[in-house]
Amino acid sequence: MLTYVLKRIGQTILTAFLAVATVFVLLRMAPGDPAANYAPPNPSSAQLEAIRQQFGLDQPIPVQFWTFLQHLFQGDVGTSFFFKRPALAVVLERLPYTITLAVAAIVLTSIVAIPLGVWMARRNNTSRELGANIGTIAGQSMPDFWIGFVLLILFAVNLKWFAPSGFDSAASIILPTVTIAILQIALISRLVRREMVVNLASPYLTVARSRGVSERALTWRYAFANAALPVVTALGTRFAAMLNGVVIVEVVFNWPGVGELVVNALKQRDFPLIQATVLVTVLLALFVQLLVDLLYPLMDPRVRLGEASA
Amino acid sequence: MTTSTNLPGHPQVPNLSEVPGSILGRDSAVNKVLLRRSAAVRRARYSTIKIWVGAICAGVVIIPVVLANVLPLPDPIVGQLSESSLPPFSAGHLLGTDPNGRDLLSRILHGGQTSLVIGMLAIFVSGLVGIVAGAAAGYFGGWVDTIISRLLEAQMALPLLLMLLLVVALFGPSIPVITLVIAFAQWPEPARITRALVLVEREKPYVAAARVLGLPKFSILRRHVVPNILQQVLVVVLLLLAQAVLLESALSFLGAGVQRPYPTWGGIISDGRELFVTGKPWLVTVPGVAIALLVVGVNLVGDGLRDRVRRAKGDQA
Repeated sequence: MLTYVLKRIGQTILTAFLAVATVFVLLRMAPGDPAANYAPPNPSSAQLEAIRQQFGLDQPIPVQFWTFLQHLFQGDVGTSFFFKRPALAVVLERLPYTITLAVAAIVLTSIVAIPLGVWMARRNNTSRELGANIGTIAGQSMPDFWIGFVLLILFAVNLKWFAPSGFDSAASIILPTVTIAILQIALISRLVRREMVVNLASPYLTVARSRGVSERALTWRYAFANAALPVVTALGTRFAAMLNGVVIVEVVFNWPGVGELVVNALKQRDFPLIQATVLVTVLLALFVQLLVDLLYPLMDPRVRLGEASA
Repeated sequence: MTTSTNLPGHPQVPNLSEVPGSILGRDSAVNKVLLRRSAAVRRARYSTIKIWVGAICAGVVIIPVVLANVLPLPDPIVGQLSESSLPPFSAGHLLGTDPNGRDLLSRILHGGQTSLVIGMLAIFVSGLVGIVAGAAAGYFGGWVDTIISRLLEAQMALPLLLMLLLVVALFGPSIPVITLVIAFAQWPEPARITRALVLVEREKPYVAAARVLGLPKFSILRRHVVPNILQQVLVVVLLLLAQAVLLESALSFLGAGVQRPYPTWGGIISDGRELFVTGKPWLVTVPGVAIALLVVGVNLVGDGLRDRVRRAKGDQA
């Protein structure tokens, strides 16, 4: 168990390192001079050169990378070009907003998608199930930014129930959450349905039914208990992916999370900030993934960690 | 179920269609109505409904998009400022115009051409790469499998959208770059499915038979294994078209699509976003409906086909 966790933590760090290294190189190969974004208007070449020197961009890329690594091991991810503050601090300031949004979205998804999926499995091959099925397909077919705009037009512009963007009260989280959840509900409920259909048709269910177990217990204590593992995996993976930034939804709603931060940082070529965001979010996402994997043996005693990943 | 009515040696079996409420020539409580209501028949019917509804949804978008150059539409790039911001159903502009006086219908249809071309090319590339990589990983195993599986895992951990934005910034937002970027995002899915299917398939007796006959590994894979799983994988690749269209629109929404003034679906919505507050919501809603219709259509067709293939392979889900 301990070796497993240690091995996974090692893999996590390695993956995060590779991700940051890839981004580091890509950023420096990309066209566009960051110095131009931070110089006064119509800068002289000497001014630009001074800024490049200040940012350390005058060095060759391998040297820059080596410096970056040295600082990284001292816990310093660099100073944001734009904010003139430690990039890590900027990211950590924004992170709670993204986490809040991700938690809200995953909770809403679970509350709706699991009962919906179970219902669809129990009503399999009825015309109402076909309706719900087509509905979930529609749910995963709409661009999320468009759903966001439609919700904004309906509820913020026309009905004026919510402020159109940003974060100014607890209610501002509702529209972005719903926007994210529509897609996730569609995906997760279909997974729940598929798993439940298989389990509801299993012989062990017939045996239990013949022993007089109630339909409710058959559905939840028997079938769902066995269907839950892949569902939890999927929810965990989805949640982890959201931590990488629900970029588009944050942009649509001007939500002050890391996704919005990173899109602006890309536009401003704020290299340290982008690197810090990638480092933090990738580490966090992998950590969540590890937690989900550690949940398995608790949910299903047949699972032994280490063997499962082999 | 056999529907043959003239079995040799059984000439007395009457034509089923002439005997109301009975099958196989004898009275039965299982009449046609019950048969039609049975789960198996209903499942078949529902997948047919899905395929048809999907084909209609997708067709409503695809056919006009394909015909955009032939239809009598105003220019999608050069507008007339005298006709700016007309609402839908204005004279000469069925879906209205944007603030530059460009016809929205024309922009949506021409933008759709870009989206569809990118989507088709992307799924061709990702499907091809995914099938080849997945089949190799599944069939050869060993270090081939290790490398490909690790690549698949590594990609899962990356902040994909950010990487895609970076690569587009690096190589410029041209159609080949966007196509390859989308293909890169999508190859894991067909690869994973192909690998899983090949793992099952290679244990089957016909593969052993081919091996005994002395066929080289590569030809067994190419001529025997892959054709047997191709149908299932191609349905998945078709479903990727829906994802590709969504991803392309997301990239153009974030400014990493084919550049202005050329219309793209995500770009049109992005241009309209500052405007819907000022009472021109159609500039956002209408192009989104086009995307959603196309994607719903492709998803429904793919899902219906997948139901069929699964049933043919004897899977109950």
